[in-house]
Amino acid sequence: MRVALSTRSGPPPLFRPVLRLREAAIPWLLPVAILAGWQAAVSAGLVSNRFMPAPLDVARAGIEAARTGELWTNLGVSTLRALAGFAIGGGIGLALGLANGLSRLSERLTDTSVQMVRNVPHLSLIPLVILWFGIGEEAKLFLVALGVFFPIYANTLHGIRSVDPGLVEMGRVYGMSRAELFRRVVLPGALPSIFVGLRYALGIMWLTLIVAETISASSGLGYMAMQAREFMLVDVVVLAILIYAALGKLADALTRQLERRCLSWNPAYRSA
Amino acid sequence: MLLDAVRRETAADTAPALRSPADAPVRRPAPAASARGIAVTARGLHKGFDGNPVLEGIDLFLPAGGFTAVVGRSGCGKSTLLRLILGLETPTGGRIELQGPEGAVRRSAPPKRIMFQEPRLLPWARVVDNVAVGLAGQGSRAERRQRALAALDEVGLSDKAGQWPATLSGGQRQRVALARALVSGPGLLALDEPLGALDALTRIGMQDLIERIWRAQGFTAVLVTHDVAEAVALADRILVVDAGRIALDLRVDVPRPRRRGDPELAALEGRILDHLLGTPQPA
Repeated sequence: MRVALSTRSGPPPLFRPVLRLREAAIPWLLPVAILAGWQAAVSAGLVSNRFMPAPLDVARAGIEAARTGELWTNLGVSTLRALAGFAIGGGIGLALGLANGLSRLSERLTDTSVQMVRNVPHLSLIPLVILWFGIGEEAKLFLVALGVFFPIYANTLHGIRSVDPGLVEMGRVYGMSRAELFRRVVLPGALPSIFVGLRYALGIMWLTLIVAETISASSGLGYMAMQAREFMLVDVVVLAILIYAALGKLADALTRQLERRCLSWNPAYRSA
Repeated sequence: MLLDAVRRETAADTAPALRSPADAPVRRPAPAASARGIAVTARGLHKGFDGNPVLEGIDLFLPAGGFTAVVGRSGCGKSTLLRLILGLETPTGGRIELQGPEGAVRRSAPPKRIMFQEPRLLPWARVVDNVAVGLAGQGSRAERRQRALAALDEVGLSDKAGQWPATLSGGQRQRVALARALVSGPGLLALDEPLGALDALTRIGMQDLIERIWRAQGFTAVLVTHDVAEAVALADRILVVDAGRIALDLRVDVPRPRRRGDPELAALEGRILDHLLGTPQPA
């Protein structure tokens, strides 16, 4: 890697770390500018502190919540719910997507039903889910799993469909067994599409969880925000929203890393 | 290393360029290791798709170790013939028989391999792993890697072993596909217009490579192509397929290595083209 870099023509090596830092800073320019403007607007009295606290106040609220441990408990509870729901829904979606991509019978049996259910917005089930499960953990797990299921299912199925039939034929001619064909040709071929589903699913995961926690919960980030609203603690409400943004970004960055690792053969994922 | 195995032929070998196979004496440069080749026999071979006949009665014998080219217009059934020989399609009528070298037990019989028009490399496997696909899991991992590297060396790409296929040029990819086809030591190599997508110079280089390896290894080669010059340069027998039948069966007795632009080859090429284009032939 270093060899490749040093053979490239460009500025002398001395400036390179500086340039790389500048390169890495570019995506953060806009968020930082917004924060600064926001702080300035609140400090100058253009925006009422009652409706929109200044970033520094939010930071102070964050430190306070972290100190009492309230933040960590709620964050932990929410993350656990999100991951558990994701594992259940994503696992089922992946399994069914693979099954339907590989077997005509399985697809004919289930795909129509899945497509029908898919068109129901899963958040519209919240009243029903509360009736079924109350406001316990099951309700959130169910909603997250349901929301995550569809993008994973649809993209896995599409990925398997779009595997180059020429490669599959090649594998057959070269004597690959069915298991080998799946492991060496079909699954790697479907992987880029599965990753697209994964990223969609991660977005839906947080969205679903937050809505569910906001409407009915006794712990978690959404609950923390709703409690704060009752006491007019605007800074905590904004803090919760900012944490959602950070969590979303984190999930996306992790997926990107994974993609770059698993899809390094693909020129589209190698750079950037 | 391969070049050493290639026997240069003497000038005395030069004989009349054209003969029908019926009266041609068995005087072909039987490659060194033809003990490995698979002989192909087809009897009354028919194939149709949805009631549309593609092949209508092909009788054929391809001796072990020979290099046969099948030419014809697109849609004449030449690729179908190749797929039938490989067992990728089942005939609607007639029979096709493959006979391996005598004494070979069925399980250890040399495999049939194909090179497609496109390289069909696995984009997610390194070049050396793509070549190892041709070994179909025989032997240990280290052994497979060793053999794959040797095959890559034969096609002159040993320095690309650790690269992704996406970083190679079209000609290099096709050479990797050739290495994959050859790594298992096949008894029959089917070439389905493998050089059609390459530029003219790369194509000539590949033709020489294929010829060299064929002469050294002695597998039976069947080349489907629409490039008559390529067929004439490589094959020792040319079948012209037209409307599902073998319209012309020519022996090419020009000694190897063949020089491009050889008048005998040119005459032969002209004759085949005349036949394909339907211009009247001088008797």
